[in-house]
This record gives sequence, structure tokens and C-alpha cells, in this order.
Amino acid sequence: MRGTEMGAVWSLELLKLRRSTMARLITPLLIVLVPLGSVGAVALARSPSLPGSAAAKFAPYAVGDLMTNHLLVVGQIMSVAVLTAGGFAAAWSYGREFVAGTAGALAGLTAPRWTVGLVKALLLALWLIACHAAALVVTVLLSLAVGGRPAGEVGLQAVIAMVAGLLAIALALPFGWVATLTRSQLGTIGVLIAIVMLTQIMVVLGAGAWFPYAVPSLLAGMGGPDAAAEIGPGSIVATAVLAPLALVAVTAQWRRLNAT
Amino acid sequence: MTVLELRGVRHGFGGRVALDGFCVEVGAGEVVAMVGLNGAGKTTALRVLAGRLRPDGGAASVLGHDPLNLPGPVASRFGQCVGAPLAYPELTVNENLMAAARLHGLSRSDAVRAAAEAVERFALSSWADARAGSLSAGNWQRLGVAAVTLHGPDGLILDEPTSALDPAGVVIVRDVVRELAGCGSGVLVSSHHLDEVARVADRIVAVHAGRVIGTLPPGEGDLEQRFFAMVLAADTQGRADA
Repeated sequence: MRGTEMGAVWSLELLKLRRSTMARLITPLLIVLVPLGSVGAVALARSPSLPGSAAAKFAPYAVGDLMTNHLLVVGQIMSVAVLTAGGFAAAWSYGREFVAGTAGALAGLTAPRWTVGLVKALLLALWLIACHAAALVVTVLLSLAVGGRPAGEVGLQAVIAMVAGLLAIALALPFGWVATLTRSQLGTIGVLIAIVMLTQIMVVLGAGAWFPYAVPSLLAGMGGPDAAAEIGPGSIVATAVLAPLALVAVTAQWRRLNAT
Repeated sequence: MTVLELRGVRHGFGGRVALDGFCVEVGAGEVVAMVGLNGAGKTTALRVLAGRLRPDGGAASVLGHDPLNLPGPVASRFGQCVGAPLAYPELTVNENLMAAARLHGLSRSDAVRAAAEAVERFALSSWADARAGSLSAGNWQRLGVAAVTLHGPDGLILDEPTSALDPAGVVIVRDVVRELAGCGSGVLVSSHHLDEVARVADRIVAVHAGRVIGTLPPGEGDLEQRFFAMVLAADTQGRADA
């Protein structure tokens, strides 16, 4: 297969993503609303008018360096938001081809169908990485605007937030495999919801550090400093490895597509 | 030279037999039409030939190759529209045609030219920059046929290509198919429109109960009457064999 044939698939998939209502909704939500919410949450935590119950909830963000707290919150939100957005996007990108019947129309082309399955996953990952990086940059800019300064543990917190988001992206990629298996957008969303529920159960049972879908949010500090400290290199590698596995699995699925 | 071929293809869905030793062959420069009742096996046969369905048995061949694994240079000489077309509603007509041309192996500059020619040929100029999702069913079908013929394939499969078309669209598709055949392409088309297939096909094969039950010369007598007589004979024979 020549590069031009792969290029044709990239062009088509990129155009479909750019035109999709899904991407047009999710992109601004991730890169504008999440940073605004993060900065707003820290401002709320430091507000003297915050009622008692809410004050207790927001207490971790009420003290310490401002920008570090902004990055702490955005990392926590993005660790869940990116996974959810990626799951929905994978459901749309793969599922639509089966629902609309275009998976069959993609047969017999110069670019074999496995390239379509692979390009979808790679494009999904690149788009989510761009959104995540942009969200962190916007958060830093907003933080600077409200008086935050790059000092103290800002660098470390930025790295943690970035890694948590990247791990969440790795966890979103298997939903392309799920969408191809179920051939259903709603079915894929159902699996996503089930995984989120299962993650909650695993965290409650204390097994979060070894359940990949809990690792990004625990690393970002959603379970508190003690839970974050349990996330070691082993947990991170076990989570990250899902990305290449998902790429291999979805490519193999699209190579063997049948009855389309 | 054989361009498209199914040899003794068998396939079932659950316990139901869809193809039962299906055989058809299309040569270069030939248009073969398949006619049959709903559920006869026409679309299933086309899906096998298009590489979209792995049959339980038998063999399929497109330009001498297994349709499930067409090499790129062979795929660039092939086109298929079975069911949903190669078109996306959020893309414009022109963008869909450009994408189809490039996916069929044309370079960017050739794709621009081919898409422009297809827009003209299929009378889609007024909608060239419109989102495909806004097209009528007939124009959507024109777009679907345009997307798989704009690269001038040597082997072409079309399933009910005129089912939603107005008379003008039917003439366009018929002319495109005949023109391709005139250039040496082998075309296999399924249709319920017996009058239409009589005009476009060199040969008509009648399909019933998952197999080809006979050939109908397109120019002779009442096609509909001969088709039903053939189906009745096949059913009678089937009951006798049972």
C-alpha cells in the first residue's frame, strides 16, 4: 500500500471529524469549559461565603499555591472528561460506519479497511491529546490572569495532570474495538457507563491502583494524596499498555470485517 | 476474459440458506443483470463478490483475485455499490466524490478532475457544494453510483442502482454503465426493474432460492412472463426433488 492511499483515509477521517457535531461540542467543552470550571472551583474553595458542607468538600483547594491548585483540579476533571469524551467519540467514529452501512462501502478500495480502523484510532488519540494539552495551556493562562504564578510544585502538578490525561486517552481507545464488536453506538456508550460503574466499585474495594480505568483519576488526586501515592510505575504501565493493545486489536478487527 | 465470477458459492444466515451453489460469470465488456424476487439471494451474492461477506463455501473472483484481499492496484480498477453508498451526509457532494476518487487510487489532481466530471455527468452541479445529507433520495443514489464509477473501473457491481431515480437519472446511470462496458468493463447489476435491465444488460440471469435458475435473453418477448415461468418451473422442480 502506498502512502497516498493511507493519506486518502487520513483526509477523509479528518474531514468527518471536523464536520461532526460530536467534535464541535466536545472540543470547546474540553478546552474552555473545563479550564473555566477548574479556576472557578478553586475560587469557590477560597470564597469566605462558601457554606460549611461545600467548604469541607472544597477544602483541599483552599490552601496552597494558586496555580498548583488550578492544575490539580483540571487534572482531576480531565482524567474523567477525556475518557468520557473519547468513549463517545469512538462510539460515533466506529459505530456510525455500521449503523449507516458505510463499513461495507469501504470494502474493495485501494486502502484496505484495516487502515480505516487504524487511522480512526490514531486520529482519535491525536485529537484528544491536542484537546488535553490545550486545556492545560488555557488553565495556566486563566490562572495567570487571576493571580496564579508558576512557583512551588506547579511543574510537578502540570506533569501529573498531563500524564493523567494521556492515560485516560489510552483508556478511551479500546472503545473503538467495542464499537466494532457491538456495531452499535448506543451499545458502546452502554459499555462505557458500565466501565465507569465498575471503576467506582473497584475504587471502593481498594483495588483502584490495579484497575486501569481508575488509575488516571487516582493519579490526578481524586482519591486523595494517599490513593495517589499508591499509583506507581507498574500501575501506569499497565494502563498505558492498553493503547497499543487497542490499536492492534481494532486493526485486526477491521482486517477481518465480515458481513458488512 | 472473466472480470467477475462466483463459483458454487454457498452461504446461510442461521438455519436459512441464502446462497445454494450460486454461479455467475461476467466477462470484459459485458453487462449482466440479475433479477429475482425479494430474498432470492441477489444482494447476498453481490456482497460476497464485493468482499463484504465471507461465504461458507465456493469461490469468488474479482479481476482474477479474491475480493476479500484485493491488492491495491486491482482495487483501483474495481467499484461496488451494494446497499449504503460510499458517501457521508456531513460532507458536500464534491467532497464525497473527491474522497471516493482518492480512495479508488486517483492522485489528488486526477481526483479533482474526476469529481468535477462526475458532478456534471450525474447532473449534480446544483448540489456540488451542498451537504450530501440534504440531497433527495434520488440524488443521494446518483451520488452513490457516481462515487463508484468516477475512476472508470474495469469491474463494477451495482445493487438496485436505479431504485430511487427519476427517469432522467435512470438514463444517466444506464448510459454510464453502457459506456463503461463499451470501454471493456464487466458490470454486474441487480434490479427489480425488468424493463430497465432489458435495456441495459447484454445478459439477464434469473435468481431464485439462492441460485441462478436460468438466463433470459434481454430482447425477446415478455420478460416478466418468462421470468415468472422460470421461477415456477424451478419451484416445481424443487418440490419434485424434495
